[in-house]
Amino acid sequence: MRSGGYAPIEDYALIGDGRTAALVARDGSIDWLCLPNFDSPSVFAAMLDAAHGGAFELQPALPFTATRRYLPGTNVLETTFTTDAGRVRIVDAMALPDDRLPPMRELVRAVEALDGRVPMRWRCAPRFDYGRLAPQCHWRYGIPVATAGAEAIAVANWNAGTPAWRDGAIEAAFTLSEGERGLLAMTTAYAEPLILPARGAVESRLRATIEFWQQWSASRQYEGPWADVVLRSALALKLMIFAPSGASVAAPTTSLPEELGGQRNWDYRFCWIRDSNFMIDALLRLGCYEEARSLFWWFMQATALTEPIVDVLYRLDGGPGVPERELTLDGYKGSRPVRVGNGAVAQHQHDIYGALFETAWLYSSGERQLDADTGDVLGRVADHICTIWRRPDSGIWEVRNGPFHFTHSKVMCWVALDRAARLAEAGEMPRRHAARWRREADAIRAYVDRECWSDDLRSYTRTAGSADVDASLLMLPLVEFGDARDERIAGTIDAVNRLLRQGDVVYRYHAADGVPGGEGCFLNCSFWLVSALARCGRTDEAGALMQRLIARANDVGLYAEEIDPQTGAFLGNFPQALVHLALIDAAVALSPARRQRRAS
Amino acid sequence: MIGTAIAAGFVATLVMTTIMRGASQFGLTRMDFALLLGTTVSDNRRKARAYGYVFHFVVGILFALAYAAFFLITGRSGWIVGALLGTVHAVFDGTVLVNVLLPVVHPRIATAETAANDIALIEPPGFLLLNYGRNSFIVALVAHIVFGIVIGLIVRP
Repeated sequence: MRSGGYAPIEDYALIGDGRTAALVARDGSIDWLCLPNFDSPSVFAAMLDAAHGGAFELQPALPFTATRRYLPGTNVLETTFTTDAGRVRIVDAMALPDDRLPPMRELVRAVEALDGRVPMRWRCAPRFDYGRLAPQCHWRYGIPVATAGAEAIAVANWNAGTPAWRDGAIEAAFTLSEGERGLLAMTTAYAEPLILPARGAVESRLRATIEFWQQWSASRQYEGPWADVVLRSALALKLMIFAPSGASVAAPTTSLPEELGGQRNWDYRFCWIRDSNFMIDALLRLGCYEEARSLFWWFMQATALTEPIVDVLYRLDGGPGVPERELTLDGYKGSRPVRVGNGAVAQHQHDIYGALFETAWLYSSGERQLDADTGDVLGRVADHICTIWRRPDSGIWEVRNGPFHFTHSKVMCWVALDRAARLAEAGEMPRRHAARWRREADAIRAYVDRECWSDDLRSYTRTAGSADVDASLLMLPLVEFGDARDERIAGTIDAVNRLLRQGDVVYRYHAADGVPGGEGCFLNCSFWLVSALARCGRTDEAGALMQRLIARANDVGLYAEEIDPQTGAFLGNFPQALVHLALIDAAVALSPARRQRRAS
Repeated sequence: MIGTAIAAGFVATLVMTTIMRGASQFGLTRMDFALLLGTTVSDNRRKARAYGYVFHFVVGILFALAYAAFFLITGRSGWIVGALLGTVHAVFDGTVLVNVLLPVVHPRIATAETAANDIALIEPPGFLLLNYGRNSFIVALVAHIVFGIVIGLIVRP
């Protein structure tokens, strides 16, 4: 299972509480957790350095096999270990707070013997600040406590052995017989005293957490052939929304490599404006109106700091600065550097303006309206787009050898000005410049049709005048850049299918991008292909591809950013929000209700 | 003089609270007096902090009145006397107040006598607040000295 101390990325499952998230390996080791928030330094980072990153292991002390699932309709993970001595079940959750003096963050691990008599072991080795700080080891009235600066964790246990400190780790062994139950609760604090919980309160919060997730799932609105996978994606996305602000991380991890041993290792624990567009679309479709409103208001507050210029990404608290730096961790299977922060923040990526306006357009549909101040801000941004769309940019893929005149960026600028004009016509934005926005939108369309089309390829091209295609072109039918059945759109889909698809997955491009090394196929692009085919009326083809892509998920229904087309191994940060958003879009595009609406 | 002492107590507690919160935010300590005091009356973290700030200000004003009484009795005040009183005050808080007196009235603070029950417990401060980090007493000492200086400068016998 593990190689050099590293589990395959697809062996992980995600648990979280809307403020941070942990990755649990199939063998019961929690190898990733940042505290107190997604974008805080890690306490467990064995995923990025098996020797020094820190982990919280809990597993049988005998050889075992493991099966996993999420408890139905929840983000609570259940792992069942089978050994020669019997079976045990572990339930892992980040408990949601209640009114019984909850800890700042609480990781609960409940162990129950199903049959036989199974020896178990656990070892909690916290390594604060991305493994740079070994813990100060203490006891508080029988409970082991690890501290470093303003951070602290306590590991309380009931019926799970007598813990002892050894080499900066708390460890214990215990044996459970059929029907017996042990409980571990890791409580954490930052800049405040620890809370040392009682067993009853921990058990109560675990039950309440399960009930919350089940109720949340029951409120989702999607019916269709892929309801189960759509719900799992929705649950995964909910875990990636930072509840205090409403922003969503692109993924809860940093520097899981796009190529083993390679340098394409990026920090995704920030909110990309581009992803927010897809997120709001998905949230509205799933009936998550509160989450959509929260994200939209975060969106407008964050961009208020920089408007009319919109940054590529923002911190979860809405701040603009995320300088990139490298850590001394070894990296996943030696894939260095390990980066925190993201240098893409300094790039110009014009497609994000399309995302901003598409978000506003989606949000303002139905009974929700934009307020006057928001309309004024959007008006200034639209004017700004009129002045910049002719310039080259770094594009959706954040290339580091640019800038170029990316077709996708031009199209998204068209989306921005088209939606701005439509919002103005609907009275949601000031109308004084609407004619200019419409005129510039038409100019962009003419530019794209003239400069970004290849008669040889029978396709739109990656950049103006190039002979390459790019999977981002699959977005053209998704954003209604012309009729989805138009021969240029159909030709573009065919070209991507022909030139970038390998099996059932799609590379984003084959051109150089300024970063050494290769990469896998992008799973979001693969789902975009499904959406594009469905919108063009090729539903049988789309449905068959969708089925194959769903089979590519790991055993608990999660996807990484990329996949190795040959081995099926996951690559890149995990789980990635954009992939799950693309999955939901593809499922909706294929849903009978949508097809009936199109037919009518 | 009482009115001056109350006003000085409010200002001095504000400055002291700012120093302590700033130290927490810069990772110097896990000391959080608002949470520690507020959880005497509430399990709800948000309410507890709100109550805790109120308690902290009330206690700060009471200490300011005690400082004023000392100034009146001795006939001496000023920033040096205030700083000395602040030092004594910090030692008293870090030893007797939080480790002896507070557990008597605090239902949720862990003590050596704590047995298994169904009440969540807040981590005890320990001698000189050291459970909350090595720098905790230094932070508390600086904050209390500043508290005393402010009182000493404002309140005159």
